Amino acid sequence: MVAEALACLVLVPVVAACLALVLPGRWRWLAVAAGLLPLPLAMAWLTGELGREGLITVAVAGFEAPLGIVWRLDGLSAVLVWLNIIIALLVGLHAAAHYPADKLNGFRFWPLWLLLSGAMNALLLSADLFNLFVTLELVTLAAIGLLVVDRKPQAMRAAVRYLLLALLGSLFYLLGVALVYGQTGTLDLYQAAGVLQPDLLGHTALVLMTVGLLVKAAIFPLHGWLPAAHGNAPGPVSAVLSAMVVKVAVYLVWRLWLWLAGDWAIPAGLTMLGLLGALAIVYGSLQALVQQRVKMIVAYSTVAQLGYLMLLFPLLGLVAFQATSYHLLSHGLAKAAMFLAAANLLTRLGTDQLGDLRGADRRMPLDVFTLALAGVSILGLPPSGGFIAKWLMLQTALAQGGWLWVGVILVGGLLAAAYLFRVLAVLCARPVACPELPVSGKADQLTSLVALGLALAALAAGFVPAPVLKLLATAWPLGGAP
Amino acid sequence: MVIDVFLALGLVVLAWQALIGGSLFRGIVMFIVFGMVLTLAWAWLGSPDLAMAEAAIGAGVTGALIMIAYWRLRRINAVEPRDPSPARSRLALVIAVLATGLVGAIGLAAVSALTGDATAARVMNETLPDTGLGNPITGVLIVFRNLDTLLEVAVVLAAYIAARAALGRESADLPLPPAPDTPLLTPLVVTLAPLTMVVAIYLLKAGSQYPGGAFQASALLAALGVLLVLTGRVGPAAAANWLTRAGLVIGTLVFCLVGLGMLVIGAPLLAIPGIWAVYLIEAAMMISIGLTLVLLFAGAPGLSGKRS
Repeated sequence: MVAEALACLVLVPVVAACLALVLPGRWRWLAVAAGLLPLPLAMAWLTGELGREGLITVAVAGFEAPLGIVWRLDGLSAVLVWLNIIIALLVGLHAAAHYPADKLNGFRFWPLWLLLSGAMNALLLSADLFNLFVTLELVTLAAIGLLVVDRKPQAMRAAVRYLLLALLGSLFYLLGVALVYGQTGTLDLYQAAGVLQPDLLGHTALVLMTVGLLVKAAIFPLHGWLPAAHGNAPGPVSAVLSAMVVKVAVYLVWRLWLWLAGDWAIPAGLTMLGLLGALAIVYGSLQALVQQRVKMIVAYSTVAQLGYLMLLFPLLGLVAFQATSYHLLSHGLAKAAMFLAAANLLTRLGTDQLGDLRGADRRMPLDVFTLALAGVSILGLPPSGGFIAKWLMLQTALAQGGWLWVGVILVGGLLAAAYLFRVLAVLCARPVACPELPVSGKADQLTSLVALGLALAALAAGFVPAPVLKLLATAWPLGGAP
Repeated sequence: MVIDVFLALGLVVLAWQALIGGSLFRGIVMFIVFGMVLTLAWAWLGSPDLAMAEAAIGAGVTGALIMIAYWRLRRINAVEPRDPSPARSRLALVIAVLATGLVGAIGLAAVSALTGDATAARVMNETLPDTGLGNPITGVLIVFRNLDTLLEVAVVLAAYIAARAALGRESADLPLPPAPDTPLLTPLVVTLAPLTMVVAIYLLKAGSQYPGGAFQASALLAALGVLLVLTGRVGPAAAANWLTRAGLVIGTLVFCLVGLGMLVIGAPLLAIPGIWAVYLIEAAMMISIGLTLVLLFAGAPGLSGKRS
């Protein structure tokens, strides 16, 4: 049954993508539903199994490593697979309003959406360095296709930049993988971890793979492509790009540094990665403060919030791991909510220029409320998932006496408050003139409710962290707190 | 040794020429020649599979795609025949130094690698006879690590949909070079078309025991498609009919269904039940990849029997 459930997570969306391309008209909705709806059921069952076993491994095609590819589901992958499924379903519901599967733009949107969610699951399950490369390529290409699905000129430009940089990143990653294979004779991450030494080859390979992934993760100073891409993509696509696509690259950097090179003891490298994160937090927040479009503010906020994920390296420890993983989860939910709400403003009011949005709260109260609620989690105010994550991060930083990191976390929170309140202040300002909006249809209400649902989920994450933190703890590779 | 040095130097010089060649057209030609020399290099290093793939896909199909893109840019006057390459960036020198350093570091690291036997390769050589396959590359691609290949075929599909999304429907009107008007054309097509088909299917079949396989066969099919488009025997259509759409997904779909079917009969996911399944999957992949490449060349969502 385990193999069946894992196969369902990866192959069912891929088969559904194929069917959505060949089935006529309305039947395509059926393919989309069949590709996405079984995922939470399979994952619920797997989570139960995982609770009992602690770790699930399956040799694909029946060949164990080093010959074959092994799927490995641990607590960390499980949390991310859940996030991916929630995003694919809820954001997909939002997308259904704009991309009817029986129309041309939906005909292109849904196969890519299904391929993206299947590829993401495949990436999170894979324990094989080369297979990870292939899944990463599929994730990137599907994401780029989604980015241009509306054929907006700015989005096309952003997509080409993203494509070129992502290919460069892939090349670096692949060079590193080739070196690891040349040395160890295996592509399995966990087998290679036992053989690979911290010598010239090991370090070169690790640096190459890390740099490649940091490009894809848009970690400062390699973030140049992100704001244009996330800021100009169609709403649901911005949401999935910020919530998942960049996160999986950071997830892989974690896997490399903590699992592949977990016992290498390279404090300089860890501090370096942490500093990049710190710079990302400060730089991204400052940029978000001066942007004039709501979606660009949210996009720069992603640059900043990604930085917190890098603080795992200097704070290294079980609690820091739980905190950063929890940040990944709650930021994914909150940021998806923000992008969807911003997309709703953009669609219904025709603009997301901050200057033109005075008094938007009277016309679209639900979406402005969603932005504020999601903001609570991004700021790290209680009660929210963001609060739990940042509180735990602060605790570890204080316990270790890492004053630099304490400062960065606090400054990041203050700056986030500044850029979010700037948006909310304008949205809730007394309007100069308030042209009447057309009466909102069912589709508009649905899109607003989906965004609100995601924001509420980010808040709810603040109430029930214990089971998730416990699940995450089972995945921690390096032993007790330092 | 002389040949090694000749190939290595030739590759560097050709790459350099492709980058700084006086005009865009020259750069493209140099890139294609680079692919040819790389083919020789792979053959010289004893990797006929890689050599074939590089010749067919790297130099052949990619070259054709870049050429048709260049031709279309000329048509809309986006480039001139004597357009010099874009001005060099001030960062060029910095990037060149960094790249050289990187290559040096990778080279040093690679030289320091242990020269023990590669574990995965050893296990594969022991396991290969059980599968009935003689070509280790087909063994890795279709049997041992077939999840990679499945996802790669899905990558081709995703890339194609992405390209279609970017192009839009009006791309069916993209210009194509006029078909040459010569009485030699028909004899050429009627000779080459069946011959290419036979060679492609032979490559697919031979791939189980000797160098060859679905990727090389699909590139040959694509070459045939490009020939038919250029000679006007096949033209772009404004919409894809169901056959075209089925052709595009059949590779991914058959692969997934075989893999899932194995679960139903109690075997591991994606286990390959026999050599017939290898041929089935490879044939489906050949159709999908070949068709994708031809459609990208034609720049249209579909193909029609005759160019209007």
